[in-house]
Amino acid sequence: MERLRRHPELQAWLILAIPVIFLLIFFMAPLLIVFVYSFLERGKYGGVEWVFTLDNIRRVFDPLYFKTFLRSFYIAIVTTLITLGLGYPLAYFIAKSPPNRRGALLFALMIPFWTNFLIRTYAWLTLLRTHTGLINVTLMNWGLLSKPLPLYGNDFAIILGLVYGWLPVMVLPIYAALERLDESLLEAARDLYASSGKAFWRVTWPLSLPGVVAGSMLVFIPSLGAFVTPAILGGGKSLMIGNIISNQFLGAHDWPFGSALSMVMMIAMLAATLIYFRWTKKSESSL
Amino acid sequence: MTETYAVELQDVVKQFGNVVAVNHVSLQIRDGEFFSLLGPSGCGKTTTLRMIAGFEMPTSGAIYIQGDRQGYRPANKRPVNTVFQNYALFPHMTVAENIAFGMEMRKTPKDEVKRRVAEVLDMVRLGQMANRKPKQLSGGQQQRIALARALVNRPEVLLLDEPLGALDLKLRKAMQIELKALQEDVGITFIYVTHDQEEALTMSDRIAVMNNGVVHQVGDPETIYEHPADRFVADFIGETNFIPVKVVSLAPEIVVELGSGEKVTAGWVEEGLSVGDRAVLSIRPEKMDLLELNEKPSNPSKDTALVNGKVTQLVYVGTDTRHTVALGDGTEVVVRLQNIYIGEEPWEIGEDAIVTWNAAHARILKE
Repeated sequence: MERLRRHPELQAWLILAIPVIFLLIFFMAPLLIVFVYSFLERGKYGGVEWVFTLDNIRRVFDPLYFKTFLRSFYIAIVTTLITLGLGYPLAYFIAKSPPNRRGALLFALMIPFWTNFLIRTYAWLTLLRTHTGLINVTLMNWGLLSKPLPLYGNDFAIILGLVYGWLPVMVLPIYAALERLDESLLEAARDLYASSGKAFWRVTWPLSLPGVVAGSMLVFIPSLGAFVTPAILGGGKSLMIGNIISNQFLGAHDWPFGSALSMVMMIAMLAATLIYFRWTKKSESSL
Repeated sequence: MTETYAVELQDVVKQFGNVVAVNHVSLQIRDGEFFSLLGPSGCGKTTTLRMIAGFEMPTSGAIYIQGDRQGYRPANKRPVNTVFQNYALFPHMTVAENIAFGMEMRKTPKDEVKRRVAEVLDMVRLGQMANRKPKQLSGGQQQRIALARALVNRPEVLLLDEPLGALDLKLRKAMQIELKALQEDVGITFIYVTHDQEEALTMSDRIAVMNNGVVHQVGDPETIYEHPADRFVADFIGETNFIPVKVVSLAPEIVVELGSGEKVTAGWVEEGLSVGDRAVLSIRPEKMDLLELNEKPSNPSKDTALVNGKVTQLVYVGTDTRHTVALGDGTEVVVRLQNIYIGEEPWEIGEDAIVTWNAAHARILKE
């Protein structure tokens, strides 16, 4: 005890030790296992044979899988852009609302999270399904359509589902950045001859960039790895890399290949994140 | 032909919901003038300034800048610039970028922008800070950058909203002098909002004293201090004694009766008071003197007030001593006497005294 009191840094380490140990066991260890597995041969009924191989890594770059990789990136990027386009005005509106109304609006934004994501996605299914979905049935009953719209089983449906799912996650950090923004900075910009549009692009936007970056990351990363949404709304025809990975573990029992796909995806995600950060840093300082 | 003012307000009213922030204000601010809006917080001075800047639109009335009616013209189309209370420097831009912002918006050629940024940085003596971010500057430096960012655009009128409010006393005093010199140098009309009466008196050519959205008096510092138009102005600017009185006569001379029954004459009476009305006699502590009972002049002039009292409190404040004296009816007045008499016996608490002043300094105001 005496020693602890004399060395406050020891106390800090003691408090830190618990989360550090937790992370070492439950985060680092599984990651290491995935890393090691991706260089081993598959076992007959799942599991692994302890034989070193680079085949799994090579197979990831097989056009068959690599195309899905690129498509997943494409879907994640489009999802992020649409979520940003919808989320930014929403965050702006909430941040500019009278302070006593902001809480209620943020609360309303969180309500969808009360229902399980899987249930909500299935609910979307009843709306979007090509022949029996509520939207197509209604439009055709009203005579507005002669043929059902392709709302289901394609990239459109996946992106729609992902945008819906991750919109609140985009709004929150942008809201936090905008809410902190000092109103007098905008008045200063107007006072210095900026139109309201110019004031937005030169002051509001650059000062909200940290929120935009955080929100985009929070949407992009889970969108890239999504598997529930493409599994349900993609109708088994339109798949993302997350579905292939889950299939390797649950269906094909090829754990090493699933691990290799995961590792490559993680590295790609890391690279994308770093590029994005560098790009926003640069545009931030050039503004 | 009427004179064209730098800024003219005609019967301007501003309401926020049910609250009247500015109530029928008319002002004429001359070209090149250092004009202060002075009043306690919530008096409408900042709202008035914001309406001139174009951040708020008047509920009714008209605002002219250089004879040009502003109407609903937005802030970015008005020939004025503002120095904000919290400076409102753009945190993501360097000092030079902050200063260049206004010129950039007006599409000033790049080389001219560069030259003028350097010029104005020299003027506020912060040339070496061009590439710093605002966060890296002290409060006083940020204040000067905010000033430079506004002045570099050569506005017709510069609006300043308590620009020195966040600085410590010593720096504030220094900046007051610097700001006044700068204003005389550039010759731009300054409209300066402050709640600090000393600051307003030190810097202004003219002052408008405001309270509850109404302008109480407009005048140069001396007029405001020496000839306050009403009780609010007398009370808000400097220190004043208010002695309750009754108006006895208005002509040929102004005579009032104190609570003790003693009668004195006064130099000025507020409009609207008539004989028999209750009023207050307002007089500054430094305009009064104390006499020993045996010093009472045998044949005093009618302009000399002589009122009996008793010293109740003495506070030594260095340059002078504040003597609190209770008059016959119990009203306490403060008399400030400079500490210039060496060897003279000081006043003592409980001592009887005669309070005296010149009628010219006494103003009869509505209660």
